[in-house]
Amino acid sequence: MKLDLTIDGREERIEVAQDSFQLGDGAARTANVVDLGDGAYSVLLDGRSYDAKVDGGVVTVCGYRFAIDVRDPRRWSRNGAGGGGAGAQKITTPMPGKVVRVLAAVGDVVKAGQGIVVVEAMKMQNEMKAGQAGKIVSLTAKVGATVTAGEALAVIEAAEAAGEE
Amino acid sequence: MGDYGLLWKHAKELPEQAGYNFRCMFRKVLVANRGEIAVRVIRALREMNIASVAVYSDADRAGLHVRRADEAEHVGAAASAESYLRIDRIIEAAKKHGAEAIHPGYGFLSENAEFAHACEAAGIVFIGPSAASIKAMGEKTSARRLAKSAGAPTAPGIDHGVTFEEAREFGREHGYPVLLKAVAGGGGKGMRRVDREEDLEGSLRDAASEAGSAFGNSEMYVEKLIERPRHVEIQVIGDRHGNMVHLGERECSIQRRHQKVMEECPSPLVAQYPEMRREMGEAAIRAARAGGYYNAGTVEFLVDAERRFYFLEMNTRLQVEHPVTELATGLDLVKLQIEIAAGGKLPFTQEQVEWRGWAMECRIYAEDPDNNFLPYPGKITRLAEPSGPGMRVDSGTYEGWTVPMEYDPLLAKMAVWASTREEAAARAVRALSEYTVGGIRTNIGFFKRVLEDGEFLKGNLHTGFIDEFFARVKPEKAAADVEAVAAFVAALDAGKRATKGPAAGVNGSASVSRWATEGRSANLR
Repeated sequence: MKLDLTIDGREERIEVAQDSFQLGDGAARTANVVDLGDGAYSVLLDGRSYDAKVDGGVVTVCGYRFAIDVRDPRRWSRNGAGGGGAGAQKITTPMPGKVVRVLAAVGDVVKAGQGIVVVEAMKMQNEMKAGQAGKIVSLTAKVGATVTAGEALAVIEAAEAAGEE
Repeated sequence: MGDYGLLWKHAKELPEQAGYNFRCMFRKVLVANRGEIAVRVIRALREMNIASVAVYSDADRAGLHVRRADEAEHVGAAASAESYLRIDRIIEAAKKHGAEAIHPGYGFLSENAEFAHACEAAGIVFIGPSAASIKAMGEKTSARRLAKSAGAPTAPGIDHGVTFEEAREFGREHGYPVLLKAVAGGGGKGMRRVDREEDLEGSLRDAASEAGSAFGNSEMYVEKLIERPRHVEIQVIGDRHGNMVHLGERECSIQRRHQKVMEECPSPLVAQYPEMRREMGEAAIRAARAGGYYNAGTVEFLVDAERRFYFLEMNTRLQVEHPVTELATGLDLVKLQIEIAAGGKLPFTQEQVEWRGWAMECRIYAEDPDNNFLPYPGKITRLAEPSGPGMRVDSGTYEGWTVPMEYDPLLAKMAVWASTREEAAARAVRALSEYTVGGIRTNIGFFKRVLEDGEFLKGNLHTGFIDEFFARVKPEKAAADVEAVAAFVAALDAGKRATKGPAAGVNGSASVSRWATEGRSANLR
């Protein structure tokens, strides 16, 4: 099976089979894998033992951490744009928690850096800010709602796309 | 070393009386806390053959402390203001279960003079100092005055709430930078570094407003700022018969957001200049005595580049990082606290306290070190704790438990003991490599990077270490094979998710036969 990967921002192609893989233009490698469940794997590669953990888009091996996005080129993009086309920006929460404040509303025109939603967990508040100027086209965050890490809370359409108001 | 176990064996034979003068060990103690520290206290109680009562909020019914305790009582909703901070409900729970004493742990009500007083009024022993000591040390300027009067060195400063004019005068006299601090402060709230007189007025206003909303008291005081200080603290313990000793220092310079994340005993600095232990120890005892102190407490100092130390504050409770002192001295601080609260005498003298080897602790937090240490609560799907030589894990979690989002992100404390600092650091790295927490993010991987850092290993520590570390150290590039393994498992995992077979093998046709793997693994042994 051939898959496209983005590893820490770099594009790669990988071909994986039962107990072998080929990364990019590299040689085909034989590896032995045991699936330990819940995203944990034990891998033997060239006689060396690796404990690996997959958690969302983050893979940890030997204390090293990689942000890896996997796409199947035969299908549509797995992380396709959920709301709006080009110029739309999703505001996602980097931490799980509870929405404690919503500082904007759908239709609002916001400046880059303007606070949109505040999420709280473990006595820490994190304010999610607009990464670009534009218009809020979607705002799913509701005060009191529990959110998971990586969840999109709002979508902002860039100023150009939204038209100056 | 004295045998304090003997004390309460004898005491048990004495008739029981109410009040502080009885020499009879408690039969039942309520633990007014949650998480790892509640489990820690319950363990001590069990070893002393004392029944334990846990309290829990709506979010903690399945908490480890509830499972480990003999009895448990629900005290309210998930928000701590409605449960763990409710003095009335905790006292009521103690009465209902017939607990003779309350151990407050750290945080929550542990430094609340009103709570200590309420316990006393209800005829329940508060395992800690008197309400008066808590009050005297809780207010930062009053603590500074006490320390000063006892001859403990303090950084130049004004020991009362200041006006802008007073702060400006101070800055002119002592020079910048200065530090503005909240009189009622703690946890870095209402604290501001000021580098120039032009910034003073604005900073004072901002800090006062922050302090006002955090503590309901906007009074500010001012101190000369100590650049790149080390945080070195002294553990003291005293009984109600006038005996007090220090149990040496802990170095806690590795901090993020003014919160400690790694601690060790001895301090690498004190190991180099051993006379500092006695000097700081004696200063700490003097400061504690000035506050009429008994039970366990910690006097925190900042140490400057010239090794001068300055009183920072006193924590009138058991510290999170107490295990490093226990590992280095062989004492059990929680048992000592309970003995002392029951009226026991300190069973050893200062001369009998000995320190052996090196202890180091890492606080395992549910937080993402690669994302500004933001909290990361959630369900723990997988948990493997380290074991082997020189290990101690004080944990409040278990596999399958959901870490609530309402409380502190501390999951566990991993402490190691070894004969030297070098060996302790290597042991900690080894242990961290065995530590797996799945389902949520933790700072486990971060510690490994610090523990292998040259500056850390040389013992060149200061409270800004982590900030500098991030600026100084580029993330080490992983070996190509490590990255290849990461890519491989990411692809396998994605394949598995795509097929979503309930039997969750590795993707569809490429599923690894369990038999084949077992056979191959066996061949490799």
